[in-house]
Amino acid sequence: MALTPTTNRGPLELPSGARPTATPLGVFARPRASRGWRSWVTTVDHKKIGVMYGVAAMFFFIVGGVEALLIRLQLATPNGKLLSADLYNQVYTMHGTTMVFLVVMPIGSAFMNYLIPLQIGARDVAFPRLNAFGLWVFVAGGVMLNSSWLFGHAPDGGWFMYAPNSSIHFSPTNGIDFWNMGLILTGLASLTGAINLIVTCLNLRAPGMSLMKMPVFTWMSLVTQFLLLFAIPVLTSAQFLLMFDRLFGARFFDVDAGADPLLWEHLFWIFGHPEVYIMILPAFGVVSEIIPVFSRKPIFGYPFMVFSGIAIGFMGWGVWAHHMFASGIGPLSVAAFSVSTMFIAVPTGVKILNWLATMWGGKLRFTTPMLFAIGLVTMFTIGGLSGVTHAVAPADTQQTDTYYIVAHFHYVLFGGALMGFIGGFYFWWPKVFGYQLNDRIGKLNFWVILIGFNLTFGPMHILGMQGMPRRIYTYRDGYGFNFWNFVSTIGAFIIALAVVMFFANIVVSRRRARAAAKVLAADPWDGRSLEGMVPSPTPEHNFDEVPVITQFDDFWHRKYGEDDKGRPVRIAATADVVQTGDATDVHLPSPSYWPLVLAAGLPIVGYGLIYNLWLCLVGGLFVIAAIYGLTMEPSVDDEAPPAATTTGPRSATPARATPPPSPSGPTRRLRSLDRHHLHLHQHSGRRARAGARGDGGGRREPRARHQHRHLQREAGHVGVPGLGVPAVRWAHLHLPALQGEQPGWRPAPAGALRHPLHLHQLVRAADELAHHGAGGGGHRAGDSAKPGPGCSPPPPSAASSSPARCTSSRPS
Amino acid sequence: MLRRALSQGLRRVRPATSLAGLATAAVVLAGCGDVFDRHPQNTLHNTRGPEADFLANLINPVFAVAGVVFVLVLGGTLFVVLKFRARDDDDAEEIPRQIHGNMRLELGWTFLPALILLGVAIATVVGVFRLAEKPSEDALRVQVIGQQWWWEYRYDLDRDGAYDDVTTANDLVIPAGREVDLSITSRDVIHSFWAPRLNGKRDAVPNRDHPWRLEAERPGEYVGQCTEFCGLSHAEMRIKVIALTTGQFDRWADGQQEQARAFAADDTSLAGQGAALFNQQLCSSCHLIEGVNDDKVPNGVIKDRNLQMSRRAPNLTHFMSRTTFAGAKFDLRKDTPECRKLGVTWADDPDDLTRCLDRAALEAWLRNPPAEKAMAADPVPGKTGGRGMPNLNLDEAQIDQLIAYLTTLK
Repeated sequence: MALTPTTNRGPLELPSGARPTATPLGVFARPRASRGWRSWVTTVDHKKIGVMYGVAAMFFFIVGGVEALLIRLQLATPNGKLLSADLYNQVYTMHGTTMVFLVVMPIGSAFMNYLIPLQIGARDVAFPRLNAFGLWVFVAGGVMLNSSWLFGHAPDGGWFMYAPNSSIHFSPTNGIDFWNMGLILTGLASLTGAINLIVTCLNLRAPGMSLMKMPVFTWMSLVTQFLLLFAIPVLTSAQFLLMFDRLFGARFFDVDAGADPLLWEHLFWIFGHPEVYIMILPAFGVVSEIIPVFSRKPIFGYPFMVFSGIAIGFMGWGVWAHHMFASGIGPLSVAAFSVSTMFIAVPTGVKILNWLATMWGGKLRFTTPMLFAIGLVTMFTIGGLSGVTHAVAPADTQQTDTYYIVAHFHYVLFGGALMGFIGGFYFWWPKVFGYQLNDRIGKLNFWVILIGFNLTFGPMHILGMQGMPRRIYTYRDGYGFNFWNFVSTIGAFIIALAVVMFFANIVVSRRRARAAAKVLAADPWDGRSLEGMVPSPTPEHNFDEVPVITQFDDFWHRKYGEDDKGRPVRIAATADVVQTGDATDVHLPSPSYWPLVLAAGLPIVGYGLIYNLWLCLVGGLFVIAAIYGLTMEPSVDDEAPPAATTTGPRSATPARATPPPSPSGPTRRLRSLDRHHLHLHQHSGRRARAGARGDGGGRREPRARHQHRHLQREAGHVGVPGLGVPAVRWAHLHLPALQGEQPGWRPAPAGALRHPLHLHQLVRAADELAHHGAGGGGHRAGDSAKPGPGCSPPPPSAASSSPARCTSSRPS
Repeated sequence: MLRRALSQGLRRVRPATSLAGLATAAVVLAGCGDVFDRHPQNTLHNTRGPEADFLANLINPVFAVAGVVFVLVLGGTLFVVLKFRARDDDDAEEIPRQIHGNMRLELGWTFLPALILLGVAIATVVGVFRLAEKPSEDALRVQVIGQQWWWEYRYDLDRDGAYDDVTTANDLVIPAGREVDLSITSRDVIHSFWAPRLNGKRDAVPNRDHPWRLEAERPGEYVGQCTEFCGLSHAEMRIKVIALTTGQFDRWADGQQEQARAFAADDTSLAGQGAALFNQQLCSSCHLIEGVNDDKVPNGVIKDRNLQMSRRAPNLTHFMSRTTFAGAKFDLRKDTPECRKLGVTWADDPDDLTRCLDRAALEAWLRNPPAEKAMAADPVPGKTGGRGMPNLNLDEAQIDQLIAYLTTLK
């Protein structure tokens, strides 16, 4: 074959044979910090990224909350004088925008980033550096948007930003430009995140975990990511049109030039309604995890839960014009959208009833997360039912743009999404931080939130029915609005109190946990999904050994089986089932500065577009440099200090029953040993174990080691934005040759390779290949790409010392 | 007394409102008379138009159904929570049966809500098309035009297709018991026309004419507000529909078609000086007074784009037949029972005029309009023209003269 001479070269390798340098621009040394702030800003670890999403979202939650309090103070009494009309319009615009784009969405991202890999048994997301980029560009967008306050004028057109009120004629300040730029950036974060998590869910599942064995949270997240994938581009396109209108004199929404302003309404709501489900579905997922655990029963009607989520996702695209029932779109459209809106209540109702059925016959433990979950079920029901009343389109001409709508969507987004997320915080806090939030404060917290929430938003139903319009900076005495507005303001401050309680709980619980210095169990709630298998807090490499899945709720079934009468009984102690977190030689991607640099360059371009185009050049240079750096930087940090040799406890066989290690123990050692290794999903953990059991499994014959590295570098490019294509090309060029060299190895079918979603198989195959190169075993990688239920072949180097892993610790 | 208050209060609370809302209501009724304020924009009670009645009757059963569903779900939750709670004396090792689902049950609660919703959907679709019915042949034709931040109404009395017979602002005067065929549009941004006790709302969108119907069952004044966010003074872009008897309406319509009284240039009466001031000042480059400055503001269109984004300002020809000014934010006619009784002819008799004119409000407005209502009256060069009435820095004598002149515009 003509291409054979290049067999050992990838597309990025230099003709001279020199290796690509680890500091491609000579600017940055590769980040090596494993602790301290540097390790956070350069991390590509999905868990740290998830935590940072959460922290950023909580920061913006406080910002948006203060804006909410300002709104409520202004409206506490008629003819409020706290805010001017101009300031009020900015505050309410920013409240809505912040809460939607910078709070609810990123809290969802926090949960999804942290949990999806854990729930599907993966070491990380599919594209770790893209993930880091997503986080930073989200932060950049949020900061850019909020910096409008400092630059004189925040956006003032409402979060829906209807044209032509958003045009330069009607909003001559720069506020709306900031809104545009900021949300284009956060949209970029959502979009890259969507691609990343979809690929993760589809390709990185543990062996045996078919789609219909995925936890409901992961399912709802997957649906959410598909919604984001298709919805965000619509918003971004609309914002580009608006940006060109405002900054470059285009006339897309210029009514004098004959524009129809309904164009913006349609574009915005085609994004905007799926957005509602983007915000609520992850919370539904969270609740679907919490309720089974504290009912000690599996989720009722799993397929119905999954398909109702998918149905909501699909139908969510056919209801957008219910935001426009009064906009004059004509009776036929109104009737169609009204009917479709009504029927989207069906899958939602199925979820509510299935949650109740899950609790039915269970043994309910009312922990804080459970209370919040039940809170969601009831409060969301109110929001859902008032939603049905809006779907009655003729009557909606009375309701729309009144406080009745404000009440409705706060019951959905606060009583639904936030309630679920706060429950999720309480539920997964131990897993993330290694200590539990105080349950008594938590319960009190729940009741205060519940009361404050209903006091704030319940009266808004009445106000709306009494004819109080939305988005008004003041109202008159004598319209009957006074009393309920005042109640609502009191409620808002009770919510604020509850938020303070939540933060206080974190502080108190953390202090107590430190004082007690107790190691938290891996599985404090007697959980059902895979994240219970790893220690708390989660070690950097997640799973010591990727579990093989045989059924839904696999982790629970490792602990419980059935006696001869079919009754569930415990068959294994939790300590015997969970992992210890002391794996070694696990491949993880190396940290990088470039995602941060790339994300920092983009808002500079944004500021440049608003103020001075020369700034765009500066920002553009950042972006180009970062893309270059990201592309040229190998995923593997070859220059990292050499791994310490296998000394100390690492060579000892880890005992299964040892208590979970403290966070500062083996985990940290692991970081220092293995951070130069590439993230590879599947076999590395098993190999690591084998290496730890048999002596010297970590040491390989030199040539094979070199080849392994080389393949890692190639395969690692799957994880680089935009480099999937070179990886595929490389595969086509080189795999046949490699196949010739390696008689025992068979590549995945050609069709699969051409499809980017199957790149993961390529990665796996390449990894496998490296090992066959070393051990010359006769096992076929093609088989391992599709593991049979409950069993996968043993790694070659361990074949003699370890039997098939899949049979160990399995009940049945 | 308390019982009446309670039942009255509870009737105001819709079934769909949360139980917590109900509980709060109960707590609150203990002493706050404020709950029983009149609600001039109520959408569900004391509706006064056939369309609004229809909408209330359509939604009330839906509220009831929603309320029943909510009570069932909440009751179900409470039942489950109480019955299946883990008890202290439970055997911790005893695991409940692992039930994964029940196909029949799940299909049941997929299709049962779908059936309920089907019923609601049928009523809805019927309602949608009823609301979109064409108005009757003899309906009064009025064009409603929104702009920042006031409403203009133009009447087509002779039914020639052109809305050019009467032009007024702020108050939409209609005959009671007769259908009104509205054509709603806007001159700048999107607004929404809403008089809740007569009908639902319909957006006013530039470049589009939206048909809408309105009918008041009996004479009276019905207030509303713009309900699509339209910028600074969205909260004070108010609507007042005044329904008159047919006879009153005809007289009103005749009066509106007359031209304004002209003053000689050398008239030294206070009103005459005011007329001269009106023509000298910026007033006359924006506000049309028919028979006075038709040449400066042809067809009411402002020549200089910078003066007004929407290129219109309220037509003042019959200013004193209105009850409000400045986008219906302020009362021109004092809002007292005896003045209200005088209706749209409150300014015809000099005594009534003196008694009922809210002179303080008008003076304050002329002194500094942007301080009275949030507006962006100053143009931003290169970006936008003015929106709203600028401060003309009038002195007190000029204000007196102008008010004297304005009171002649009946």
